[in-house]
Amino acid sequence: MSAAVLETENLVKVYGRGESRFDALKGLTFEIRQGESVAIVGKSGSGKSTLMHLLALLDEPTAGVVAMNGRPVSQLKPAQVSELRNDTFGFVFQQFFLNASQTVLENVILPLKIAGVGTAERKRRGMEVLEQLDMADKAGNRATDLSGGQKQRACIARALINEPSVLFADEPTGNLDTATGEVVEDILFGLHRDRGITLVIVTHDDDLAARCQRRLLMQDGMIVADESGEAVRSAGASVGQTSREGSRRVGGHGKHAAPVVVDGPGLDEPGPDGPEAGPTAPGAATAGAAGQVENAGTTGEERA
Amino acid sequence: MRAVDIAGTALGNTMRSKTRTFLTVIAIVIGAFTLTLTSGLGAGINKYVDTMVSGFGEIDQISIMPGADATAQMPGSSGPVAYDPAEAQATGEFGMTMLTDEDIETIAQVEHLSNVEPVVFVAAEYLETADGDQFTLQSMDLPANAAALELAAGVKPARDAMEITIPETWLEIYGTEDPEAVLGETVTLGIKDLAQQVQTVDAEIVGVSQAAISGVGASPMPSSALNEELYGLQTSGLEVEQPQAYVQAVADVEDMAANEQSVKAALSEEGFMAMTVEDQLGVITGIIDTVTWVLNGFALIALLAASFGIVNTLLMSVQERTREIGLMKALGMSGGKVFGLFSMEAVMLGIMGSVIGVGLGVVVGLTGNAALVSGPLSGVAGLSLFAVDPMAIVLIVLLILVIAFLAGTMPAARAAKKDPIEALRYE
Repeated sequence: MSAAVLETENLVKVYGRGESRFDALKGLTFEIRQGESVAIVGKSGSGKSTLMHLLALLDEPTAGVVAMNGRPVSQLKPAQVSELRNDTFGFVFQQFFLNASQTVLENVILPLKIAGVGTAERKRRGMEVLEQLDMADKAGNRATDLSGGQKQRACIARALINEPSVLFADEPTGNLDTATGEVVEDILFGLHRDRGITLVIVTHDDDLAARCQRRLLMQDGMIVADESGEAVRSAGASVGQTSREGSRRVGGHGKHAAPVVVDGPGLDEPGPDGPEAGPTAPGAATAGAAGQVENAGTTGEERA
Repeated sequence: MRAVDIAGTALGNTMRSKTRTFLTVIAIVIGAFTLTLTSGLGAGINKYVDTMVSGFGEIDQISIMPGADATAQMPGSSGPVAYDPAEAQATGEFGMTMLTDEDIETIAQVEHLSNVEPVVFVAAEYLETADGDQFTLQSMDLPANAAALELAAGVKPARDAMEITIPETWLEIYGTEDPEAVLGETVTLGIKDLAQQVQTVDAEIVGVSQAAISGVGASPMPSSALNEELYGLQTSGLEVEQPQAYVQAVADVEDMAANEQSVKAALSEEGFMAMTVEDQLGVITGIIDTVTWVLNGFALIALLAASFGIVNTLLMSVQERTREIGLMKALGMSGGKVFGLFSMEAVMLGIMGSVIGVGLGVVVGLTGNAALVSGPLSGVAGLSLFAVDPMAIVLIVLLILVIAFLAGTMPAARAAKKDPIEALRYE
């Protein structure tokens, strides 16, 4: 097993006081390992968003500890926490939060701008990540001129530009139609598999949750189930799934079929699973099974 | 986030809502424009006073007045005072303490002083040209003002000669426009004595004066000797000896720079008040400065109003961009940087407003000055109503930037305090 990237101990979050007191989280202890894909599932009000905010260091717990790479975050100064978020986290939200007055490229490079990276370097990395997501030709467009799927891809590009080790996605497909949602899912899981990015997804979409290696089921501020390993979802569901342009695909959803990304200039790394994976036809991905999910996780560990 | 990126982003953000930015900037422009004009006006007039002072060259003249307590001279400000004939003699027409001949003698004995002369007011009747044309002399300049005289031609009247200057506007009595043409002409001055008999005295025109804003040079100016002669005629004609009283006296100081303080001290000890030309002009400069500051005060009120415009604009902006702020904070922008970004936007508004306003003020000031000085006010020599003082310009811009920054702090602090989770909440 890989090292824990995020750990919590007896995590408690209380909103309000007295009559209006609301215990959003009631003492959660768990850990998320490097390279894992974790779904936080639950009904609205179950505390899943609160949990994500705490994990993403956007909020402070009322009690308990969040530790990042074994170091309790409460020891850090606010500026260090900000830097940590900028440096190691990527965020994808249900709503896109793209700045309508800026171009796609300008939106995407925002984290680098905040980090204080130089203009030329920002542009270079921005274009690189947009190319990986088949968005290079939209770089100069206004963010408002994009379709929903393109917007979410721009958001993913923004989340990836700082090469995060953990990607937080809060209902990443909640605002998208099914087909577009699948494309976005494929991209996310492709990144997880190919780059070993730790994926933390908050969702109430069971299908999406099923594609994660691990599911934390939340209810009334408690984790009521922590399932892992089984990918319940029928892998065939997204067979032949292609991105809008059709010509290139990023991280086709099939488990071992990752190397379908053969013609993407931005993703020229070899497939994660060695020679036997090869440039398989998308259809071959139907062979996906539970064990292979595990395999993908291991890959992530190796690369991290 | 690098400073250059903060500035660039701030500028970009102000350009997002162009109408709102434009309106806010206009308010700042009005303040900056007014402040530039008023301070330029003060600088211009003071510059004019300075040129007048420096035009005098080495001024070694000092004016001497009775040093009595000024408040005691105000009617009704004190109770009845015991009558003293000696004192009473020296009280002039307006209840002012005057100088007596005795005083003049005392003053003459002060070290480093020479040519002590009482200032006397002469009311001549007419000026007659060699051709016999007579012109009314409503007023004549005091010889003591000779130092401040601006000449179009010729020289200032020599102290001991029977000489006179005439203003440019009097050239028409010789039917000429060339000031050089009248130099050397002899004029006859007529004056009534106490017996109402007209007495005359001849004088030579040695200079043509230009009217200064202070009024010096706007009427004929006799030399000291001529003035004294006229005064002698004016007070003659009666057998009774008149007690003499003078408002003030002038005297030359030997080596003013070295002896100014000692002479003033010596005169003060004797109960007199002494003022150099610079002291007197200093009073004028002081008044101009005061007026300038009052005007600047109004401009500052305009800027104060503009600063609320900035607050309002930025508050709206913070409100509208709540999510953007939340996103930036979620992506790792510290509260300090968010504060910096928004206060920078205020400063950007300040920069735009001050540059446009100051630029406009300078252009309007300079053209207005040129138009007035070459137009309606062309008769006043060396007049400047507006001057560009680079230091003042820099100060005005800095002041506006400081005001803009201060106005921006409240909205910026509000933006910096926004909770990213609140800001990103979508329900």
